[in-house]
Amino acid sequence: MSFNILVADDSETMRAVIKKSVSMSGVSVGEFYEAANGREALAVLAKTWIDVILSDINMPEMDGMELLEKISEDDEFRKIPLIFISTEASEARQEEARKLGVAGYVKKPFHPEAIKAVLHEVLGKAYAHRLEEKPTEAAGEEIDF
Amino acid sequence: MDEELQLLIFETFSEVFETMFFTVLELPEEAPGKEELACGRFIEAAISYSGGCNGSFLFYFPWELGRNITVNFLGIEEDVVQDRQVLDTAAETANMAIGSLLGHLDPEGKASLGIPQPRLLADFSPETLLGASGLCIFSTDFGLLWVVGTHG
Repeated sequence: MSFNILVADDSETMRAVIKKSVSMSGVSVGEFYEAANGREALAVLAKTWIDVILSDINMPEMDGMELLEKISEDDEFRKIPLIFISTEASEARQEEARKLGVAGYVKKPFHPEAIKAVLHEVLGKAYAHRLEEKPTEAAGEEIDF
Repeated sequence: MDEELQLLIFETFSEVFETMFFTVLELPEEAPGKEELACGRFIEAAISYSGGCNGSFLFYFPWELGRNITVNFLGIEEDVVQDRQVLDTAAETANMAIGSLLGHLDPEGKASLGIPQPRLLADFSPETLLGASGLCIFSTDFGLLWVVGTHG
C-alpha cells in the first residue's frame, strides 16, 4: 500500500528536504504533491486523492492554521491527517492545532528520524483499517509504512 | 542587546545550523579582518515578528556560506546549486533561527512570525554593520555570518 503525500511549505528547498526525509523513512510513497501555501494545498486536495498532508504553519496568503481550519470544516478533507512541520512549536500554538484536529507535530529544525516517527505513528492510526481490509496484500510486504 | 539574549541567539542558531546544515557556528575570538570586511556578494534575509513581543532581524550570508549550507541542506553537488535555491535556503534559515528563538522569547506563542524576505547584495561590505546595535557575528568554515537584530 502506498500513500499520496502533499507537502505544503513556501520554501521550495524545505519542500525538497521534507520529501527526501519522507523517502528515507520507509513509507511507501505513491505520488508527492507540493503547495507553496494553504490556498494551493486546498486546490490540490480538491482534485487529487491525498493520504497525508505535511504542512508548514508560517506561509503567505493562507497559513497552515487556516488550512487546518478549512480542512476541519470539510466533511471529506477532515479525514486526511495533517502533520505540522514548523518552527512555531509553542505549547499554546500546539494546543490550538490539537483543538483543530492536527494529527502530528514536528518542530523545525528536525532530524529525518522525527519525520519517520510521526509518519509511522499517524499513518498507522489513520489507515490501520486499510491494512486490515487487504490482509493478503499486506501480508507479503516487508514494510508498508 | 544583553549578553543573556546573545547567548540564547547563539544556542538556538547553533542548533539550526548543526541539525539542518551540518555546519558549526562559533563565537569569533578576534575582530573581523580585512578579508572578512571586504566588499563581495552577500545574501540578506530579513524577518520580523509582532504580537506578544516585537522584533526584527537581518541576516547577512557571504555567498560562499549561503552556497555551502544549501549544498548540505539539499544533499546535492556544489556545481548544480542554483542561485534561487541559495536565496531560498537563506530565507528558510532566518525562518527557522528566529522561529526557534521566538519559542524561547515568547513561550505562550502570542507573537506571529512574518514571512522571511531574501535579497541578493551584489557588492556589500559588512564593515557597514560594525557598531550597529544588536550585531552578532558567528564564524563558520565558510565565512562569517552577520546578524543584526532588535527585540523588545
